[in-house]
Amino acid sequence: MNYETIIGIEIHCELKTKTKMFSSAPVTFGEMANTCVNEIDLGHPGTLPCVNKEAVRLAIKAATAMNCEIDPLVKFDRKNYYYSDLPKGYQITQQFHPLGRNGHVTIETKDGVTKDIRINRIHMEEDTAKQFHSDAGSLIDFNRAGTPLIEIVSEPDIRNGAEAAAYVEKLRTLLYYLGVSDVKMEEGSMRCDVNVSIREEGSETFGTKTEVKNLNSISNVQKAIDAEVQRQIELVSNGERVIQATRRYDETQKTTVLMRKKEGDVDYKFFPDPNITPIRLDDAWIKDIQDSMEELPDERKARYMSDYGLKDYDAGVLVANRELGDFFDEVCKYTENYKKAANWVIVELTAALNKDNIKFENNPCNPKYLADMVNMVEKGEISGKQAKEVFEEIMKGKDPKKVVEEKGMKQMSDSSELLAVVTSVLDANPQSIEDFKNGKDRAVGFLMGQVMKASKGQANPKIANQLIQEELKKR
Amino acid sequence: MEEYSVEYFKKLAHDIMFDISDQEALELQDDFKELVSEINVLDEINTEGVEEMVYPFEMETHFLREDVVENVISQTDALSNAKSVKAGHVHVPKVVK
Amino acid sequence: MDFERARKEDVNARIHVALEKAKAKQADLNAVVSFVDVESQIEGLKDIDENQPFYGMPIVLKDNVNMKGVRTTASSRILNNYVSIYDAHITTKLKEAGAVVIAKASMDELGMGGTNENAYTGPVCNPWDTSRISGGSSGGSAVLVSSGVVPFAIGTDTGDSIRKPAAFNGIIGMKPTYGRISRYGVIPYASSLDHVGYFTTSIKDAAVALEVLAGRDDRDMTSSYKEVENYAEQLNSDLHDKKIAILDNVQNAITNEEIKDNFNSLMAKLEARGATIEHVSLDDKLMHALLPVYYIIANAEATANHSNLDGIRFGEREDGESVEDVMINSRTKGLSSNVRKRFVIGSYSLFAANQEKIFRKAQKVRRLIVEELKRVLDQYDVVIADASATIAPKFKEKVQAGNDDIVTENYMVLGNFSGYPSITVPTGFVEGMPIGINMTAKPFEEQTLFNIGLAIEEETGLKGNDVEVDA
Repeated sequence: MNYETIIGIEIHCELKTKTKMFSSAPVTFGEMANTCVNEIDLGHPGTLPCVNKEAVRLAIKAATAMNCEIDPLVKFDRKNYYYSDLPKGYQITQQFHPLGRNGHVTIETKDGVTKDIRINRIHMEEDTAKQFHSDAGSLIDFNRAGTPLIEIVSEPDIRNGAEAAAYVEKLRTLLYYLGVSDVKMEEGSMRCDVNVSIREEGSETFGTKTEVKNLNSISNVQKAIDAEVQRQIELVSNGERVIQATRRYDETQKTTVLMRKKEGDVDYKFFPDPNITPIRLDDAWIKDIQDSMEELPDERKARYMSDYGLKDYDAGVLVANRELGDFFDEVCKYTENYKKAANWVIVELTAALNKDNIKFENNPCNPKYLADMVNMVEKGEISGKQAKEVFEEIMKGKDPKKVVEEKGMKQMSDSSELLAVVTSVLDANPQSIEDFKNGKDRAVGFLMGQVMKASKGQANPKIANQLIQEELKKR
Repeated sequence: MEEYSVEYFKKLAHDIMFDISDQEALELQDDFKELVSEINVLDEINTEGVEEMVYPFEMETHFLREDVVENVISQTDALSNAKSVKAGHVHVPKVVK
Repeated sequence: MDFERARKEDVNARIHVALEKAKAKQADLNAVVSFVDVESQIEGLKDIDENQPFYGMPIVLKDNVNMKGVRTTASSRILNNYVSIYDAHITTKLKEAGAVVIAKASMDELGMGGTNENAYTGPVCNPWDTSRISGGSSGGSAVLVSSGVVPFAIGTDTGDSIRKPAAFNGIIGMKPTYGRISRYGVIPYASSLDHVGYFTTSIKDAAVALEVLAGRDDRDMTSSYKEVENYAEQLNSDLHDKKIAILDNVQNAITNEEIKDNFNSLMAKLEARGATIEHVSLDDKLMHALLPVYYIIANAEATANHSNLDGIRFGEREDGESVEDVMINSRTKGLSSNVRKRFVIGSYSLFAANQEKIFRKAQKVRRLIVEELKRVLDQYDVVIADASATIAPKFKEKVQAGNDDIVTENYMVLGNFSGYPSITVPTGFVEGMPIGINMTAKPFEEQTLFNIGLAIEEETGLKGNDVEVDA
């Protein structure tokens, strides 16, 4: 029997704001416990929430990038449950009126197929406190409590692990490009829960779904789904039933593990928060946010291909990492040798950073210097081989022009200067001239090597080759 | 009123994180009889097409707080009312989940 | 005692006298939860302009108002050890205006009650007759004003928690428009019904106080931007252009003849001053829905509002094997039986399966009730009726719950449903106990209440009324 897999994904993303969703305490990561809070974050009696404008702005950007309809009347509701990481005993969220609805994003899977994944909703809410569990009890740090979040809920349009990974990657890149979130899955600023069910192909009803929670990397999203689908198929094939439950992915066992069964849905007793009056967003403000949005990855890739003539693959690599692309754009301000520049950025720069284990944000390479170097190669002022040497110095922060001067690297491109070298090399190698006349082409290669040797590698190979050919014919 | 058993009320109470005694559960049975009659009073009133009134005034606001750090309290103040504190954290017995 | 009389003594003396009086009366009245250190506050007055309206004025806060470094219990065991880590908006406002807080006053636990019998520190007694209740939930605040301890006390009003005890204590109880005074830092009962207000013994003091307390606070999103008026300066007791509607649903149901006579003769006096006085009736079905709507909405909002009381970050924590046990034990022991039962009802009405029939239904009926009130206030300046059909009941005296008492005893929630401003003004005595009327005006027309209130005060001569006046 053939089964179809149905996957829906919920993603929580911390917004990159300075302050919390409902309080003016700072949003931080890695600070001393309980030092980035105020009475609101701790849920002290008598406190009231106050909505952060920047959080709304970032959420609007996210919703716009995901092609959502935006509700200009912002409302918040209470989700009631008790847990030690939830200070108020309710979470303020947007159950009834999400900021964004009915969106979609286009994903491209590894085999190059494009597909639209519909977004059901994007809403704003607040994060919980962080708990550290040990046998001696739990320690609670409220620094994270109240951090602004958006939750992005997809429709069940995803059909396999690869699509899921592509979807999460797509969202991750989008949100990153927009400056909406740090999207660091390993640090928890982006969290991913997937709902997985299977059904017989052709069936219209959905099978029982399980939720796999807390996936901490994109590759684990795919692995967890593949494992869970396999598990469900085996169950159903053996005539057993899938039980509605929350599961987690065990990386070492490469399988999903039961966390807890779901006995019906939990009743969160949602109701509108009476402390937050509906907020009418100014149309002009929304439009302004949308008009001044950063270039999205798809737009950037298209620009690289059309304006800079890059190949699909190269453009893709530059877009996959926003900082790499940003850097490339800087380089392109100082050179028109776009393809060459792209090659240096993608291959040499990345390799150099990797070699020394340097994060891109600490990249020491000055984009103008790199552009200058590319231009020098193009003009024949230095050879490709010399360029690699120069590049090493650029990575130390040095101006390529100075490097070339200091090292005396200037390429010999002056014809009369080169001609003298070529003439003396020919004079010293009569046998090669003989060989050439007998039709042995490799004599040219030998002579070229001798010219390089005599010029200490500074001879412009193109011009030198031309001169050798000409002079041989004259002899 | 069978559904409103002592056990039922104890479960309701437990859902919102407290216990009630048998006596309190019995008193709640009476309270629920009152609630039912109150619901009946409301049922008598036609509310078709009427929106819920969530706020006394439904004037929309345009106010959103600027994203500027203003009010941060000290760790001492943050933890001053907590019964058990360890290493700058609020300490609780192990969470059972 | 009004501000004027309080000022006859110098700052130091009046504050210490107030504190001593409060301490001396504590055994009889039990109105105080915590006394507050005044010396540091007196020291702080050095930085305050002497012309500030509350300069050196001893005042009382209801114990649900946060004041940094001071115990704030809301008269609940679970907050018995809670020391505020921040000032409520109104605490800051009052401090800036020169007020000196001498005590935190008893209340019904978390505001949930109308008698002040449900306080962790025990019931509060009425100074006019200590065998009678103070009324609640702001009972301690009312009593500390009516016993002549302070000229001003903060209260809060979710059903009639300022206006009912004001009537039982013979003082003014003011509940301004919803959003007029910020709720930031005031421990809630039910957020959509909660109002901050206060007690005074003179209309002028009430007008001055609103100028200090009112105004936009960005920390309370329901706080109004509307400009604060010069209420005191604009006081005017001329009633010639005033249209007053007597709420017949209430007045017709009152059986106490003395209370009725008092009311009728007052109306005659107001008419003689030039006011137009007419009778109105609100839809009877809706009036009988007042209490159900109130209970359902208040209990539902309250159960969520107080989910933060879990003993984890603050408050009395009881031991337990797991964190869940800690929460359950703390809440079981920390919240009274009465409060826990109300939370069960509130939680039940919020269940997804019940909400439409109970909670949302109540919210819909609330709208109809408010529309009904608005219909009347579109044509009148105020609606008026006795604030209570009876004098303050004796302790444990069961108020007979006849079909109409449910209206007379609960109609003041109209002011909470609508958010409209509402004031109780003392009008005389029955059996030696004070009685009062209640007026409700259009939103943000507090000035109208003060002006008509001033006319009433001039007629009754009860300005500055407290138990010590006759002594």
